[in-house]
Amino acid sequence: MESKKGYSKPGEFKPMDLLACAAAREVKDGEIVFAGTGLPMLAIMVAQHTQAPTAVCIYESGSIDGRPIDLPTSVADARCSYQAAVADGLTDVFGQLQSGKVDLAYLGGAEVDRYGNVNCTFMGGPTGKRLTGSGGNSDIHSLAKRSVLIMPQLGQKRRFVERVSYITSPGWKIPHWPDQEWVPKQQVYGPAFNGGPAAVISDMGVYRFDEQGEMYLDTVHPGFTPEECRENCSFELNIARCQGETLTPTYEELDLLYKVIDPEGIIMK
Amino acid sequence: MARPKVVSLTEAIGQINDGDMLTFGGFTVWRRPMAAIYELIRQKKRNLHLVEVNGGTHDDMLVGAGCVGIWESSWCGHELYGKFGSNLARRIEKGEILYEDWAHIHILNRLTAGAKGLPFLPTYSAMGCDMLNPENDNLGKAGLRNGSNRHIGKHKYMMYKEPFTDSEIILVPAANPDWCITHVQMAGNEGTVRVEGLKFSDQEVIKASKHNIIITEQIVPEEYLRREPTRNMLPGYLVDYIVELPWGAHPTGLYGVHEPDGEFISSFFKATRTQEGFDQWAEEWIFGVKDFQEYLNKLGINRLESLRANPALGYSSTMKRGSR
Repeated sequence: MESKKGYSKPGEFKPMDLLACAAAREVKDGEIVFAGTGLPMLAIMVAQHTQAPTAVCIYESGSIDGRPIDLPTSVADARCSYQAAVADGLTDVFGQLQSGKVDLAYLGGAEVDRYGNVNCTFMGGPTGKRLTGSGGNSDIHSLAKRSVLIMPQLGQKRRFVERVSYITSPGWKIPHWPDQEWVPKQQVYGPAFNGGPAAVISDMGVYRFDEQGEMYLDTVHPGFTPEECRENCSFELNIARCQGETLTPTYEELDLLYKVIDPEGIIMK
Repeated sequence: MARPKVVSLTEAIGQINDGDMLTFGGFTVWRRPMAAIYELIRQKKRNLHLVEVNGGTHDDMLVGAGCVGIWESSWCGHELYGKFGSNLARRIEKGEILYEDWAHIHILNRLTAGAKGLPFLPTYSAMGCDMLNPENDNLGKAGLRNGSNRHIGKHKYMMYKEPFTDSEIILVPAANPDWCITHVQMAGNEGTVRVEGLKFSDQEVIKASKHNIIITEQIVPEEYLRREPTRNMLPGYLVDYIVELPWGAHPTGLYGVHEPDGEFISSFFKATRTQEGFDQWAEEWIFGVKDFQEYLNKLGINRLESLRANPALGYSSTMKRGSR
């Protein structure tokens, strides 16, 4: 019998499990976390059950520090409000975000670029394929201290690009409107600058951003090589700083995901 | 002091004119006034100007039915039940609709400014992003920022160096819709409104709007709501019309009352991948039924019962949701 704390071996977990657990490990205890629908919800819940028991989860529809006993399927799901400290609305939580109270946020997107700019509005720019649009993506990416992006990558290098075809949400380097000069985010946001993208977690690796705000490979998921991560990027990815393999899910984390957090098999099918 | 009129859905929606600016209470696929959406489509409203904190199944339906001339919001999709709003996407891609993209805080601030009687509000959100790219000012490019439309400001937004700490901030213009339609759990017979669960941005969008239609699961005695005024959201004088219509939020969810009908929304999303698919869907579920009552009959009691929330939890504890 493996110890619950032991790390699972390749073949004992699915790519989705690793994504959720790698994302969960970004949360530090006591942090205030903004999470969206799907994997981000699983990640914050895994973190709350493991290394971050006092982390607080805020959903953008207005619920704060809910203690769901059933997995919500959207940020406005009645399950988010179960045993919440407060369940009010958008003015409250987006105000808290803008005033710098949010430590960490999880986001998704259709495209990410070298600087962590995100696109979820148009694939191929305003004449291209229309997606959902920003929702809270741009607000959260603009104003949280750290944001973590969860993105599919394998076989989809068009999602990891030199420059996104539409900037829905700001990364570390952005244009200053209306003069359009590309400058560091801090220069544009001034006193409202709280931080920016901290990590991108894909089905191939974990990426972080260097001192110049450029993406590099931090750890590679078991079964892939750093070169394969680079080949699945449309830009020249820096793999020189790769520290080795991403830690696999522990048996405890797998149990949490399948038996405690999503026993119904809504996302962890 | 005006008290709201209790009217039929047909009568309430009949007050709305082509070209009016509309907004709605609720959030994505939660607590949307769907019965009113079906009636707007049945009454063939045209050239509506939607301004919404976020969209969802409801606005994608209005767009598919050709009711919308201008769409301004931050998002359109169906949460986990459909990746994006297909009708809106198709019309945007074909250049058949005017649209403006905003971040959540932008559009929330626009309606909050409207609710407070201010011409604008500032925010730092989404600076450096493409919704603020001057090339994406679609209403400006269409020549509509010339003062001819009272709902369209001279500028989409302004960069502003604020005079207190000299930071750069953006100012977004107030929005004051002609109508807001909101579905709620309870309204009193004098119009006091109570919403259970999250309020989302209802107070802002309702107060920003010139006229309000409240669709309620139930009309209850005022006295009942006034026993606990801290739980109430609106006084009656802010409401023009009240319509009593149980299940009127279906297929979206209603806290404490019923779940969203995910299967219904998924099949809507699949149907809307083409205009023909939407038209057939609308023929079956909107034009093919006489009114909302007939729609509910068509859904059937078993389907509706399967969505019912457990009052202790606020949601259903029996609905099958996943693969296990």
